[in-house]
Amino acid sequence: MPPNIDMDRCSGCGMCDKICPLDVIHFDSEKNMPIVKYADECWHCGSCRLECPMGAIKIFFPVEMLY
Amino acid sequence: MIGNIREYEFETDVLIVGGGLAGNNAALGALEKNVKVIVADKGTLERCGATAGGVDHFMAYLNTGPWDTREAYLSYVAKIARGAVDLKVQDAVFCKELEAALERMEKIGCTLKQSDGKYLRTQSLGQPGPYFINFNGKNLKPALAKEARRLGVFALERCMMTDLLYDGERVIGAVGFNIRTGDFYIVKAKATILATGCTTRLFHNPTGLPFNTWQCPQNTGAAQVMAYKVGAKLANMEYMRITVVPKGFSAAGLNALMGMGGRLINAYGEEFMAKYHPMGNKAPRSMLVYAVMKEIQMGNGPIYIDCTHLSEADLNHLKRTLGYDKDTLPDFLEQKGVDLSKEPLEVMYSEGMQAGPSEVCGSGIMIDERTSSSIEGLFACGDCTDQMRCVHLCTTGGYLSGKVAAEYAKNYSHPIRVDKKEIQRLKEAIYRPLWVTGNLDHKTVENVIRRVMWEYAGPVRNEKSLNLAIDKLQSLKEEAQALKAKDFHELMRVHETNQLIDIGTIMCHASLERKETRFGIFHFRSDYPETKEEFEGEIVIFQKDGKVVKEFKKLSYDKIP
Ligand SMILES: Cc1cc2nc3c(=O)[nH]c(=O)nc-3n(C[C@H](O)[C@H](O)[C@H](O)COP(=O)(O)OP(=O)(O)OC[C@H]3O[C@@H](n4cnc5c(N)ncnc54)[C@H](O)[C@@H]3O)c2cc1C
Repeated sequence: MPPNIDMDRCSGCGMCDKICPLDVIHFDSEKNMPIVKYADECWHCGSCRLECPMGAIKIFFPVEMLY
Repeated sequence: MIGNIREYEFETDVLIVGGGLAGNNAALGALEKNVKVIVADKGTLERCGATAGGVDHFMAYLNTGPWDTREAYLSYVAKIARGAVDLKVQDAVFCKELEAALERMEKIGCTLKQSDGKYLRTQSLGQPGPYFINFNGKNLKPALAKEARRLGVFALERCMMTDLLYDGERVIGAVGFNIRTGDFYIVKAKATILATGCTTRLFHNPTGLPFNTWQCPQNTGAAQVMAYKVGAKLANMEYMRITVVPKGFSAAGLNALMGMGGRLINAYGEEFMAKYHPMGNKAPRSMLVYAVMKEIQMGNGPIYIDCTHLSEADLNHLKRTLGYDKDTLPDFLEQKGVDLSKEPLEVMYSEGMQAGPSEVCGSGIMIDERTSSSIEGLFACGDCTDQMRCVHLCTTGGYLSGKVAAEYAKNYSHPIRVDKKEIQRLKEAIYRPLWVTGNLDHKTVENVIRRVMWEYAGPVRNEKSLNLAIDKLQSLKEEAQALKAKDFHELMRVHETNQLIDIGTIMCHASLERKETRFGIFHFRSDYPETKEEFEGEIVIFQKDGKVVKEFKKLSYDKIP
């Protein structure tokens, strides 16, 4: 499910959480990592990817959309 | 329990609910008049609303030829939105603001020009000439937000506003809550602007994924419902807008494909649009949707957009433009394995939504030439109004709304008296779903709403089906009393579900009143399949003493204002 965050690249800046227009991504400050908390509410707008300073985000479409 | 909720009170000159394209432009218009401005949005200013992932075209006339003038533009508007568009308002919210808007786009650093310094313009959707300026709009929202912050906006982010404060004579602000922390917000304002967009997630979605919407799924008609509750007039609410989208992905992009010369073809490879409209593939959107539905119905589907005949340069421009419009559309095509230069792209009709029936007018709060609603102190702009939609109108009209509201606030001379009991009542209603016992969840109810709306009030409707939909929505409204929210994020979704029920009901009431068919399947009455001249105007709907009142606003197209 989109978006897919590459944790090896992620610097833990929290920008994706801050920017997501739909409150889909939440930053877990204990684990210091972003969590895609409401994947089924993703609009595939690409905002998180556009703003990620580390280029750590890829968007993958669910099968329902590809067939 | 409610005592544990933290409460914050703010006072401002202008409150803007919804900080998307229209709301953000309104903020600039007001801030430039040196007043205090609060913008409340469920997202963050930099990337909230429909334009979050980008946009690719701005409709404008530039006085380069006889088709490219104010008069020609207004004639086109009268033609494609006849019966829904008020030319006097259009002149005020677009034509008179256009030049300044084009300058502002340059000033904020989101140029409409190509790298060679020239405008690239394309023609589609029934236009008499190439009115669409193609541009890279990926950075539009952050650029607007940056300017609003520079001018000193106070942004209440991750905040859902639920109700207006109304003292019986005028609107004096709004209340809402933080969708992360649950904090309760009371915002007292001299002037209030609503700008929360159209209503999505209201009709069955072909993929079965309700958030896979054409317009922003965060928009569930908050402005329309809030305004309706205080007695404001709504108009054009009967229209259900649909578009043609790549099969599986409800994305924008149709204008780009058709504007660059895309051709609609059916399963037999036949170009069919000429059968439906003299402008063929450049026909208005409602006709493209109608034709695609009809071809599928007749067994001629699947339907495709063919771009294989385009030159390499045009294809390259098109691919870039698609990515400007919604950042992820090129990824979708890649993951689906479609190369536009080699094969046609399968398309489908999208889900429906409560939105204006054309690119030049909206559906929602009825506004006048100054973007005032019918209630004192309440203004509106953008897709939640009856006379604005799309980038060009949200930019020009949004800015005008900010200027007008700021002037109103400057001349405001009444004390803002907030009734404490009313605040307490609203607060209890807002947080109630957190304490409700029961396990009905909003997703289940929303799925039912979408089915009801599509089957009884969607592309085919009649008196019987609309009345049935109203009854079913009424029952759902009672069921929704038991909707439970586990956290503040879900609390937002529960309130959205309630808004969907209200908007659906209002749409059905308005549709009942329009006893004709207009804009193809955007309002297709199977019991009244003809378009009638007597219905050339807006169905106006509002609430008085708890009753639904309907009026008809006749519109004249005899002369261009
Ligand atoms: C992907 C895409 C591409 C498009 N491309 C083009 C284009 O190229 N050209 C064109 O002319 N048009 C285009 N459109 C249409 C155009 O973008 C919209 O018409 C326009 O942006 C609407 O602006 P708005 O301010 O009314 O709504 P939005 O920009 O959607 O803003 C509404 C805001 O209200 C907020 N909100 C909703 N409810 C509440 C609440 N209760 N409390 C607080 N905040 C709330 C939302 O979070 C949102 O930020 C496109 C639309 C999409 C989705």
